[in-house]
Amino acid sequence: MTLNGAAAEASPGSDTTAAELVRDELGLTGTKVACGAGVCGACTLLVDGTPTASCLLPATALAGRTVTTVEGLAGPDGLHPVQRAFAAHDGMQCGYCTPGFVVEAAAFVDRHRAEHGDTRPSRAEIADALAGHLCRCGAYEGIYAAVAAACAGEHDTESPLPPPRAEAEEKVTGRARYTTDVRPEGCWEAVLVRSTRAHARVAAVDAGGAVHVDLLGADRTVRYVGQPLLAVAAPTPAEARAAAERVAVDYRDLPAALDPAAAHHAGAPVVYPTREAQNAAPSNNEGPPLPGRWRGNLRGPSGFGWRGGTAVRRVKDAAKRGDRRLVAEVFRTGPQVHTALEPHACVARWDEHGDLHLHTSTQAVVGVAEAAAKRWGLPRERVHVTAEHVGGGFGAKGGLRVEVVAAAELARAAGAPVRLVFDRAEELTDAGHRPGARVELGLLADAKGDLAALTMDAYNDGGMSTGGMVATLGLLMYGNAPRRLRDFDVLTNRPPGAPFRGPGGAQFHWALEQGVDMMAERLGEDPLALRRRWDGNRKRRALYDWAAALPVWAERTRGAGTGRFRRGVGVAAANWIYLTDPATVVDLVVEDGAVVARSAVQDIGTGSRSVITDVVRTELGLPADRVRVGVGRSGWSYAPGSNGSRTTASIGPAARDAARALREEVRRRAPGAVSGSGALDPEALKSLEGTQAGGRRRRDRGGYLTPVALPGMGAPGRGLTGAVHVMEVEVDTLLGQVRPLRCWAGISAGRMYNDRLARNQCEGGVVQGIGYALYEQRRDDPVTGAVLTTNLEDYRIPGIGDTPEITVHFHEEGWEHVVGGGVGIGEVSTIGVAAAVGNAVHDATGWRPREVPIRPDRLLEGIGLK
Amino acid sequence: MNAPQNVAAVAAALRETGAEARAGGTDLMARRREGIAGGPVTDLAGLVELRGVEWRADGSARIGALTTVAEVAADARLRAAYPALALTAAALATPQIRAVGTVGGNLLQRNRCAYFRSPLFDCHQSGGDTCPARAGDHANGTVVDLGSACVAPHPSSLAVALLAYAAEAEVAGQAKGTAGGGPRRPVADLYDGADSSRDHVLAPGELLTAVGLPAPAEGETAAYRRATSRSRAEWPLVEAVARVVWREGAVVDAAVAVGAVARTPLRLPEVEEALIGATGPEAAAGAVEGVVGRCAPLPRNGYKAALLRDTVRDVLERALAADQGI
Repeated sequence: MTLNGAAAEASPGSDTTAAELVRDELGLTGTKVACGAGVCGACTLLVDGTPTASCLLPATALAGRTVTTVEGLAGPDGLHPVQRAFAAHDGMQCGYCTPGFVVEAAAFVDRHRAEHGDTRPSRAEIADALAGHLCRCGAYEGIYAAVAAACAGEHDTESPLPPPRAEAEEKVTGRARYTTDVRPEGCWEAVLVRSTRAHARVAAVDAGGAVHVDLLGADRTVRYVGQPLLAVAAPTPAEARAAAERVAVDYRDLPAALDPAAAHHAGAPVVYPTREAQNAAPSNNEGPPLPGRWRGNLRGPSGFGWRGGTAVRRVKDAAKRGDRRLVAEVFRTGPQVHTALEPHACVARWDEHGDLHLHTSTQAVVGVAEAAAKRWGLPRERVHVTAEHVGGGFGAKGGLRVEVVAAAELARAAGAPVRLVFDRAEELTDAGHRPGARVELGLLADAKGDLAALTMDAYNDGGMSTGGMVATLGLLMYGNAPRRLRDFDVLTNRPPGAPFRGPGGAQFHWALEQGVDMMAERLGEDPLALRRRWDGNRKRRALYDWAAALPVWAERTRGAGTGRFRRGVGVAAANWIYLTDPATVVDLVVEDGAVVARSAVQDIGTGSRSVITDVVRTELGLPADRVRVGVGRSGWSYAPGSNGSRTTASIGPAARDAARALREEVRRRAPGAVSGSGALDPEALKSLEGTQAGGRRRRDRGGYLTPVALPGMGAPGRGLTGAVHVMEVEVDTLLGQVRPLRCWAGISAGRMYNDRLARNQCEGGVVQGIGYALYEQRRDDPVTGAVLTTNLEDYRIPGIGDTPEITVHFHEEGWEHVVGGGVGIGEVSTIGVAAAVGNAVHDATGWRPREVPIRPDRLLEGIGLK
Repeated sequence: MNAPQNVAAVAAALRETGAEARAGGTDLMARRREGIAGGPVTDLAGLVELRGVEWRADGSARIGALTTVAEVAADARLRAAYPALALTAAALATPQIRAVGTVGGNLLQRNRCAYFRSPLFDCHQSGGDTCPARAGDHANGTVVDLGSACVAPHPSSLAVALLAYAAEAEVAGQAKGTAGGGPRRPVADLYDGADSSRDHVLAPGELLTAVGLPAPAEGETAAYRRATSRSRAEWPLVEAVARVVWREGAVVDAAVAVGAVARTPLRLPEVEEALIGATGPEAAAGAVEGVVGRCAPLPRNGYKAALLRDTVRDVLERALAADQGI
């Protein structure tokens, strides 16, 4: 074949896919394999100019063809216009899907320009062309903009401006290297052997002579289908799969609790029969679990509240007298899977000094290093964790997980580097999920329409994990009226949950924010006006005012529509906390005429590399090519994990502090190199080789909510971030489809460090919230407990065509007490979105959805019953 | 693996080895990776004579089995002569799959049931004797009972459209020890709705080489619709094809076929008959009245009966409203 313009020879086997040939044998790792089922498009190649999914294409089909990979898109004049456009419009976040999108878009743009000249295609045309691609981060708005601009001929030459994302060029060219692309010389492959039983004691495991590591706990019990019980390794993937096939497991079946609606009933099989086993249950939340009493499979209540007795009494009395100002409702959500496009992966190696080297797809580089050091009894500096690029996380890639433990143990046993990569079925089964919940809401208004009581009981369905925290989030909303907030875990023999982008928040807001809408209807009040009244906070009032002034809100028609296609507008508010990590450090050094920052922080697509780059460039007045930032190595200066809305609020101020310190150091050494405005003279850097300075994350004015940082969490900051989402949908009442048309996202989180990246993240939050509201549902077999949605066609995440036109509005005032003036937006930008969709569907149809996802069958049944 | 270069040799090799034939590979490669297909494979890639569209003297088309779905969707003459087929081809899967997926592969692909596709379950389709979907999750299962114990709907969208054209399948070769189904048979006869163990009836050694369509009808309008939750790239909950032939402002012939509801694609003759004489889209609602009566839902997919009726109604309204000038 002709590959990227040169002749290439290969003799692949019959079952080898084109993707495997290109990646594994020819070393062109820009092409990614994410779903392995032809759904997500990350593996797209041009075959004779036609975009083709290479994960299902037999490699033999490439014989005699002309093949172009993302590495071959650039021409003699530099990058393809579409690559420049993706960089300029930030049509990416984690970047794992980007090569596939870019290859497909390049073919589309070339064809469009040949047929229609330099004109902008419609959104529908772009969506049709890119229908075979999925971006889990939801960077679709940037992709629309990039493709349209490239078609219009706006990117035929190099832009004089650097792209908003520091590593954009690496991502659009396929050069960005992820853990799944790492394959050292002599590397063995590992495969996890997983339980085929929902609940069983494992009497014996015969590993069949394979190099292996046992992964069962002390009680030798498996508690869900898919639980890892052993890992094997062999020199090639095929040998490793064969070795896994040969493993024989002697199960002694136990009765299993599979139905979360019945698992807490008397007589149900018990998931954790002993105190010891209960204490070893995994947590699906961040930080230590709240205390809770166990009764069989029911754990809890845990939670808080104030004047809880008063709240309960008021709600009960109101129910007795049939008070219309009481909203008592039950809302439900199911498990939502993270399914980052880069699967969980680790490449482990022990060197000749006994140091452990881990490449891993993680959102906590330092956390993994610390945990690994503890586990294997090494000083922290002898564990070397690398995560240069991370293909998404969303909460599921924290801490020392099974892929790291297994790879490191097997590497020691094999005396060779070992690579372990989850396939998509493993990713959709055992990589964590947002637990489901049944939420019983009581919301009572008094005669003046003020909030008189809030009660919430949440029964959290995190499979065999504990830690559900949904009702507890009632602490964060609507003032200080009496409230009782209780969380329960209902344990079943199903896979464990994990923190997911605002743990508990999406479930909580789905219930509360629809309840508030119902209250507004009862009170005959505008839903925005009611929220504004109930929420005394000045920053968030600014968001309500902004939303109320939007034409889509002010001019909306009231009441359910008629006819087949009905439009509706819904609103939802959300609050979230933010954390900072006062231990964060950024170090700067002058090297080769440039200022170089090195930080352990990982970039999972949320832009940490860009935040440091921007702060240093701006503070020191340097051009783009004079600032370089390295991230994702545990040996570099300390940074927190990417969760809890704390990364940017920690590294941003530390980078600024470091830049200021470096300026002072330069001024001391060469006073002439610093201009009056504080900018460094780029030419003077050559003579300042080796100059260094470090910066810290200084304390916020007024301190933190807790006197000291919490272990593993950081310090919770003062003040809540806020979001108001306004969503417009169109409902097809004949076939049950809900189409999001436009969305406005108002965010109060202070100053944005990088405006385009922050907007991108908020746009992605809308897309993920739409997935939660309308499409995403893990389905389990009710008889065996096996997960059935093990691929990306059955587990449905939003595509580009499902993306509404999104407008993001930042209200930046009110955060002056925070060093750097801004905090994190990851969670607050997504947790209220589903409720806004629910409220919009109700506005359109008069039917109130109580369960996500709002599938066609549920919608049709709902509007039929009405 | 070898790739023999002519139909007779391939058919002989298939009979000899019991190998599975591989066209675009989009279904077979996935099943092999999932561990639910093994055994030998014979590539059809060398059979260039099975690619492309042949136009016959009576104006009808014969489409080679290795013609890609994208080629069917994009072919201007096919679009004019057989609009329902081209619309269906353009609506299925994604551009990258359409680029390599073939007409033959689409007609003979295996079903999408999650139980069949999981290595954790045995079922009628994988050599077992139970249907775990019946006791388990069958929200996407069949809603029209054709006598099969398996409840996986047939996955081929092109079959729905070809049924609406009463197209013919051409089959080469012959299975060991059988008389075979003959070289030409209606596309409908590729399937047996009562058979729980397989998704088509061709035996190893039989090779689908082409589909032949009847001469195009003058004054045809057509539509294709699928009910999904997302806007694109999703297997249908229900899909429907309608083609109507007009004379002097009234419908004189109609063909309506549906998919994703039964073990095979289905024609709906009662709906077709009700359309004769129709003059516009307002005839659709009345024509679909009997559709729900055909359905025998499983315990947890009752919604599909009404959704089938309404998808058919939608496709009829579109076909009846379409410009008769095409």
